[in-house]
Parts: sequence; structure tokens; C-alpha cells
Amino acid sequence: MDLAYYYELWRGMMLSKDPMLEGWQVFFVRFYQAFLENDRWLQYLKGAGTTLYVTAMALCIGVALGVLVAVIRTAHDQQRPGNRNFVLGVINLVCKVYVTIIRGTPMMVQILIMGMVIFSSSRNYTLVGALTLGINSGAYVAEIIRGGLMSLDPGQMEAGRSLGLNYFDTMRFIVVPQAFKAILPSLGNEFIVLLKDTSMISVIGGQELIKAARDVINRTYDAMFPLLGSAFVYLVLVLIFSYLQGILERRLRQSDRR
Amino acid sequence: MIDVKNLKKSFGSHLVLNGIDQHIHPGEKVVVIGPSGSGKSTFLRCLNLLETPTSGSITFEGQEITAPKADIDAIRRQMGMVFQHFNLFPNMTIRRNITLAPVRTRLMSQAEADDTATALLKRVNLEEKADAYPAQLSGGQKQRIAIVRALAMKPKLMLFDEPTSALDPEMVGEVLAVMKELAEEGMTMVVVTHEMGFAREVGTRVLFMDEGRILEENEPRAFFASPKQPRTIDFLSKVL
Amino acid sequence: MKLMKKLGALLLALTMAVALAACSDTGSNPSQPGGGEGEPSKSVESAEPNQGGEPAAFTTIEEGKLLMCTNAAFPPYEMTDDSGNVIGIDPEIAQAIADKLGLELVIDDIDFDAALISVQENRHDVILAGLTYREDRDLVMDFTDSYATGYQVIIVNEGDDRIAGTNDDLELIDKDGNKLEDIQIGVQRGTTGETFCQGAHGVDHVTSLDNGSVAVQALINGQVDCVVIDKGPAEEYVKNNPGLTILEAEYVIEDYCAAVDEGNTALLNAINGALNELIADGTVQKIMDRYISAG
Repeated sequence: MDLAYYYELWRGMMLSKDPMLEGWQVFFVRFYQAFLENDRWLQYLKGAGTTLYVTAMALCIGVALGVLVAVIRTAHDQQRPGNRNFVLGVINLVCKVYVTIIRGTPMMVQILIMGMVIFSSSRNYTLVGALTLGINSGAYVAEIIRGGLMSLDPGQMEAGRSLGLNYFDTMRFIVVPQAFKAILPSLGNEFIVLLKDTSMISVIGGQELIKAARDVINRTYDAMFPLLGSAFVYLVLVLIFSYLQGILERRLRQSDRR
Repeated sequence: MIDVKNLKKSFGSHLVLNGIDQHIHPGEKVVVIGPSGSGKSTFLRCLNLLETPTSGSITFEGQEITAPKADIDAIRRQMGMVFQHFNLFPNMTIRRNITLAPVRTRLMSQAEADDTATALLKRVNLEEKADAYPAQLSGGQKQRIAIVRALAMKPKLMLFDEPTSALDPEMVGEVLAVMKELAEEGMTMVVVTHEMGFAREVGTRVLFMDEGRILEENEPRAFFASPKQPRTIDFLSKVL
Repeated sequence: MKLMKKLGALLLALTMAVALAACSDTGSNPSQPGGGEGEPSKSVESAEPNQGGEPAAFTTIEEGKLLMCTNAAFPPYEMTDDSGNVIGIDPEIAQAIADKLGLELVIDDIDFDAALISVQENRHDVILAGLTYREDRDLVMDFTDSYATGYQVIIVNEGDDRIAGTNDDLELIDKDGNKLEDIQIGVQRGTTGETFCQGAHGVDHVTSLDNGSVAVQALINGQVDCVVIDKGPAEEYVKNNPGLTILEAEYVIEDYCAAVDEGNTALLNAINGALNELIADGTVQKIMDRYISAG
């Protein structure tokens, strides 16, 4: 079946306001011009690729920052009273300010500030966007990880240390794996938020999925299908993400079985 | 073996240990008893620096472990610790619980550690649990594993912090049996416990603590037969 | 303390990574494959080839390249095609200018208000975006000579006779000449149309949208009563959306100019030189005709 033929035919009928035209035919024409005409679906795909790329970049930055901040803040808070390290105190304060500022200001404002003030002479919009998202995500990831570390029974750390393991080995083999399992649901949630927040980088020129959809809107003067289409793509991506998270959680729950 | 001099420990303004002087010789089985809040657990935890003393000094085999530059990890490797709540690592199998520390601290190769684990598990009749996870074990089994885990480091001294207090009564016996066996092999032990029978039977010396001080100490027979301090008499009358 | 050393090293590494990212991002631009590799902004002198005798030395942000920003939702001046390229009158004029100056043209499609800031921040060398000359803009940018003219018109739904036009104060009026009070006007954010309408009717009666296409969508949806926008794109929108019509209004004729960063006189002169030659030899007119009559 030659879809293009019917598209041209019914589009012509639309332009000439042909009364014979049925509603579903209009529907088809709008659908066709949003996705199939000139292989426009490839543009959404390319945009989705950028969305995933930005998410991955932001994820790496966010997790690296988050772990760093969480470890610093936990190490600071778990110091013995009266035995506090001054340098650690200063770094801890920096971390606290970072978390406060990021959590206290809207994502959109952060993106605009990064794009139009801090990196105002950079033309690599996508990278600036990824950096902004990563820095933003880092603050939330840090709080999630810190919560996980703090919620763990201190007896676990004591048991590890009493066996003669050093702080880092105890963290690496005992505390972090358990904390990771505990925080995985919130972490997955944060990553899903991150994936969806990538749509905001289009305001500073990021060439991602929503930008692709808006470009098609600008050419077709029809918003419905491009927007529904991109919503669908986000939904599919999030579902894939949740599915993978579920697999990981099941594997980590291994040690819970009785 | 351990020399404790004028040990003081306070949490904030609350003085928990108020000047402890104590010498523990190799091969001794010291049992620490006393009412809750008397500081006996804190005293035990100071011995391997899980609590940092506020003042005073602790010397282990001629090395001052309270010195700022002391390698605390190296010292802890020579002291095993058993906790009230077992503190097994729930994310690892029993075998890995036992072998992690010896392998990571380069005390043994993985193969040596596995052999040690198997031998130790056989000793406490839990060799079939090697690949189980802690959640699959009963309290008594967990505590026996915890003892074995500490022993895998081949410590010179074992510290027990109320090892039977969190157990169902029918499981206390199996844990005490393992401890008794260990005592018979000549292990130096410091045990904080409420098990007076164990103190009497296994202990070579009993310390009675109250309000951050050691009020009275004696060999067990004399201690239980003729306590001297009124506070000790009062306490024993309640628990025996 | 060992721990502190490790933390310090980590922090340092992170800082460097951030700094690196900051440095390298003047590099490649995702929307323009193959464009934009290379060292960030080395000042380079290229002799202006066509101005006889006058040694007009200018610099661009990236050597050998003319970085242009625009907002490609302003047909026929600029729009995107299905390959994601920015096409239209402005890109073609810019290409002709770049050819004359011996530069490679690189176009970035960003929001209009962001584009206005971009040349001031030295992110781009030049803006061509159907940009109207205005005094307040002249404070922060240097404008070239005008290459086209346009004026604001009103787009309304066909059959909607509430709006008749504008009066001398640029207020929208009904057919009896009375100012329309209860009206919502759609405009593109940052444009002269926005300024005019906000001045005449107040911000509460003006809905500023990301671009003209969205504004027209809002009109079709009934979210606004009319759209005030440049005549060029207005004709494109009306052609593509049956049911819309254009009302002429009393808005002033505007000069479309390119603009560079305030004080970048050398580049301004070079572009002006090239532009005037293109106007004189009819190239600009040819480009305009191709888009506006053939459409």
C-alpha cells in the first residue's frame, strides 16, 4: 500500500476543503506529515539519541559528584565528637552550600544561568546542558546516598573495622553494597527524573527530542502528533529504564531469601 | 598483654568511664559484669578503639594503641570482637563473611582463607551453611558464625560484648559451648555478659563495674562466694 | 590523613574535568556536523578582499569561520528543513557574505532572545534573524546596513471582525475606531511586535511565545485573539494555515539588519562592505524573490 499516495491525495482534499473528506483521513494526513513525510521519524530518533546521550553524561557526572559529596558529608558527620578535622569541615561546608543552592533553585533557572551566563560564550549547547543536569542531579544523588549510608546499622561499619579492615575496604565491601541496595529505588526514580529533565535543555539550544518535535511543528503548523510522539518516546525510554532497574533490584535481593 | 591506665571516657558531659586501671595477662578469661549503664560495654569497646578514650592510655603487647600515630587497623587484626547483635554482613555468603577480612588484609590467600573457613565451620558444625546468607540462619547460628569470623583472623585476644543477650534462651547454650571450647584452648578472652554460670565456670577473673569504675575484682569462686562491696552484694542478690 | 588526601585528589580531578569541559565546548557543535572543530578563538587577521586599499582587518571568534545565530522559526527569513539545516533568506545572505569574506559559515539555531544576547557574549560573530533595527538594541550591538524591510501585521482568524486595525498609538481598534480593551495578543518573545503591543495594551494583554509558529498555534486554538508579527513570516503562516487572514496596520516600516557585538567595528565594516556589494549586484534581491514570490 502506498501511504504517500493517499497522503498527497487527502492532503490535497484538505487544502481544497473537500466535503467528502472523512475525519480519519484528516487524522492520517496529520499523522503522516508529523512522522513519515521526508522520513521525519528519523529526526525524532536522532533527538532521542541526544536525549539518551545527555542522560548518560549527566548520570556519570551526577553519580560521581553525588558519591563524592555523600562520602564527604557522611565522613564528616560520622567523626567522633571532639575529634573533628578542620579541612574536612570546610569541604563539608562547600558540599552543603552546593546541595542547598541546587535543591533550592528551579532546574529551569539553573539551565538558563549555565547557558546564558556562565557558559554564555560556549556553543556546545548539548554539553552545557548535560553538565547542568549532572550538577543538578549530583545534589539529589548525594542526599539519596547519604540517606542510605546513614540509615545503615553502624554495627556493620564497626564489625568491618573490628576485623581490621580499613575505612575504605569497609565502605567498599560492606557499607556501600548494602546502602546501594537500599537506595536503588530512589536512585532509579532520580534517574527517570533526569531523563525527562533533559527536555529542558532545549531552551538553551540543546538539540534533543523536544527540539526535534518543535522543529517539525514549525514546519507543519500542527502540534498534536509531534508532541504526542515525543511523549511516547519518553514513556518507552522510562519503561525500559524501569525494567532494567527491576532486574537489578531482583538480583540484589538474592541475599534476602530465606 | 593489655595494660589499661587511668582510662576515662565521656560522651558529651556524661562520664561513662571514670578512671579504669587494669592489666590483662595472656590466657586469662576476664568476665565483666555489672548493671546496665555501668560502662562495661564502653570499657570493652575502648580496648579495640571502637570508642576513643577521652584520656588515659591502653597498651597492647607493649604498643600504646591510644597514641595518635598507632596503626589501629593492624592492632584490631590481633583482637577479635563479637557483638551482641552479631553484625554479620547480610550482603555476603557465610564463607565470604569469614574470608573477607583475612584476604583483604593479606593475612591469607583466598584458598588459604577458604580452607580456614571450612575448618572453622566444621568446628561449630555449620559447614553446610558456607554458601548460605545470614538471613537464612537462626540467632544462635549467626553468633557462632560471628565468633568463627573473628577467629579466622587468628587473633591473640577475643572480646565478647554480651554475645548471648540478643538470643532466644534455647540458643544461648550452643553459643556458650563454643566460647567454652575456645577458653579451654587457651584463648585470652574478655567477656561482657549477664551469664553468671559462664562467669563462674569459665572465668579466671571477674570484674564488677558500676558507675564507670571497677568496684571489685576476684577469681570467680571467691567473688561469688564472698562479695565484699555492698553494691556487689546488692547486684548479685538480684541476678542470682 | 590518608582519607583527606584521597578526597582532595578526587575533588581536584573533578574540578579539572569541569574546567576541561568548559574549555573544550567552544569546539564541535552538534547541529553542524563537521563544523566547529579547532582551537577556541584565536584572533586572526584576514584582509578584507574587496574594499580597495582600505586595510580593514577584522577578527572572528573562530579562525576562518563566521559564526551566525538565528531563530529558525521565522519563515521565510529562517526555518529548518527536514534534514535539520537552517534555510531561508538570512542564511543565504549570510552565506553570500561569508563567501565574500572568505569565511566558512556556521549557523546555530537558538531561541530569539538568546540569540540577541549571544553576539554580546561573543558566542557568535553575527546575528541574522529578521532583526529589526532599534535604538535600545543599538546600545548593546552594532547594526549593519539594512538589507530588507518589513513591518508588523496582525493575523486573525478569518471571519473574526472584532479587530479592524490600529490607531496612531499602535492600539488595536474595532471598526468604530475604539481601542479594544478586552483582547489577548500573541507575539514572539523579544520581537518589536511584543514591544509595540505591550506598550499599547499592557503586559497583561500580551502573550509572549517562544516563536511565531507557536503564536500562530495559539491563535488557531483560540488562546489569543490575534498575532502581531512581521509581515514576511505572517504571509508564510497564513499560506500554510487555511482559515487565517492578515490585517494591515499602522506599524512603522522596520529595517532588517544583521548585528555584531557592540564595538566590533572591523567586523561590522567588513560585513557591511560585503552586504552592500551583494545589494548592489542584485544578489540580495534575487534571494528575496526566490523565497517570497516562489514560496
